[in-house]
Amino acid sequence: MAAQTLVLPGEAIPSDILPIPSNPSLALKLGPGLRHVPPSTITSVLAGSLCIDQKKNSIWVENNSGRYIPQPNDLVLAIVHHSSTDWYHCAITPHTTLAQLPQLAFEGATKKTRPQLNSGSLIYARVLSASKHTDPELACCNPSTGKSEGMGELKGGMVFDVSLGMARRLLLARQREEGGLVVLEEIAEKVAFEVAVGRNGKVWVKSGGVKETLLVGRALQETDREGLGVEEQGRLVKKLLRGI
Amino acid sequence: MANITLSPLYRADGSAKYSKAGYSVIAAVSGPIEVQRRDELPEEAAVDIAVRPAAGVGGLRERHLESIIQNTLRRVILVSAHPRSLIQFTLQIVTSPEDGTVTGNLPQAASNLPVLPALLQASILALISTSIPLSMTLTATLVAVNSNDTLIPDPSVQQIKLASSIHVLAFSSHGELLVVESEGDFTMDTWEEVYQKAKLICHGEEEYKGESESEDMSMNSEDVSNLENVLKDAVERKIAKSQRWKESMG
Repeated sequence: MAAQTLVLPGEAIPSDILPIPSNPSLALKLGPGLRHVPPSTITSVLAGSLCIDQKKNSIWVENNSGRYIPQPNDLVLAIVHHSSTDWYHCAITPHTTLAQLPQLAFEGATKKTRPQLNSGSLIYARVLSASKHTDPELACCNPSTGKSEGMGELKGGMVFDVSLGMARRLLLARQREEGGLVVLEEIAEKVAFEVAVGRNGKVWVKSGGVKETLLVGRALQETDREGLGVEEQGRLVKKLLRGI
Repeated sequence: MANITLSPLYRADGSAKYSKAGYSVIAAVSGPIEVQRRDELPEEAAVDIAVRPAAGVGGLRERHLESIIQNTLRRVILVSAHPRSLIQFTLQIVTSPEDGTVTGNLPQAASNLPVLPALLQASILALISTSIPLSMTLTATLVAVNSNDTLIPDPSVQQIKLASSIHVLAFSSHGELLVVESEGDFTMDTWEEVYQKAKLICHGEEEYKGESESEDMSMNSEDVSNLENVLKDAVERKIAKSQRWKESMG
């Protein structure tokens, strides 16, 4: 797995710790938190732990704070702010420019049958394009297949805030192995619920009753806040389940 | 000894509390957020600073400090990474030593400078906690020179009153001088001494001086470690806390 060291902004990454590609034509991949200063210096711009993946020939800085910056292909939970003739304008994070969601970017939407979203409704969407010079654009369907793939308006339920790092962990394909998260699996053994995780640090939870929904949300928030390990998560879930 | 807490405020995007030498400052950062049209810069992020005094409303003194901090932070933040946005700082002075306004034989009636190092340190720590891309970190310190040319790092209120000049210096993590603000009567030679002393406090430049000499100098100040290491320690603790869950994975 990746090796880790602490870096502070402005530190040059020594060239001898950079991963050595298996094939010399393979370019080194710089992830978030690093900046390439021509000709060949790599400096960190964030404080965090430096992670190096030799196999993927990539290097990045991992940290868990700050505001979400939209990146293409991220799944986010957004709130519809208002709609204009062809677009819904949605808020991904507070006090930033609104993201645009075409009214036809839903499964099966045509000019005649388009979904009616009021301001305040919650949507699960994918970021289609995002760059620092333009407003982000969202879509609620896969543009190549036109299928919703679970995206669209989320009705009922509640939204809980978690840290960005927690959201990243929740979205991992193998939560237990890579992210050290078992809290959702453990709760799922006793309580039925649905979750949608937005990369912008929001988790939507829907369950049979308010009590169960709150239980799932609180368990996630506490796991995040206290940085609970696998066993501690199990204990937390047991404790919470006793309350129902 | 400096006391640092990273991210004490959970509503802000990033925050930090910094206390040293009787001054305590809480810095909160929001950003990048939407900017008002009149402040918008097409290629860069706008940096907005609000300094709030421990008591009362801000005045000329705070505006002066804000302008110094803003000019400094614009160099430190990679402003081109977030064009047409705003990075907003609120720096609340929580406590200041008993005489808030320091009067003495300085040219101005009241000195603005003693609180400046704490403000700069708090703002850089808050920036780190916000994960805004930075080109470097900075450390700042206050050095007073009394009438018989003795240098006093981190002077008390009384020492500032009796000082013939006071100096605030900030250094980047690369060891470059970023800010220098001086008040009072001093010669260029004195300033050189102050510069060396401040650099030692902030950056711990051992290779410049002889090994034994630098030890002598750091004996005077209470903390042997330089400010840069103090900052690094604080960040390290925060990162360790946020990655606690990884321990159980082995």
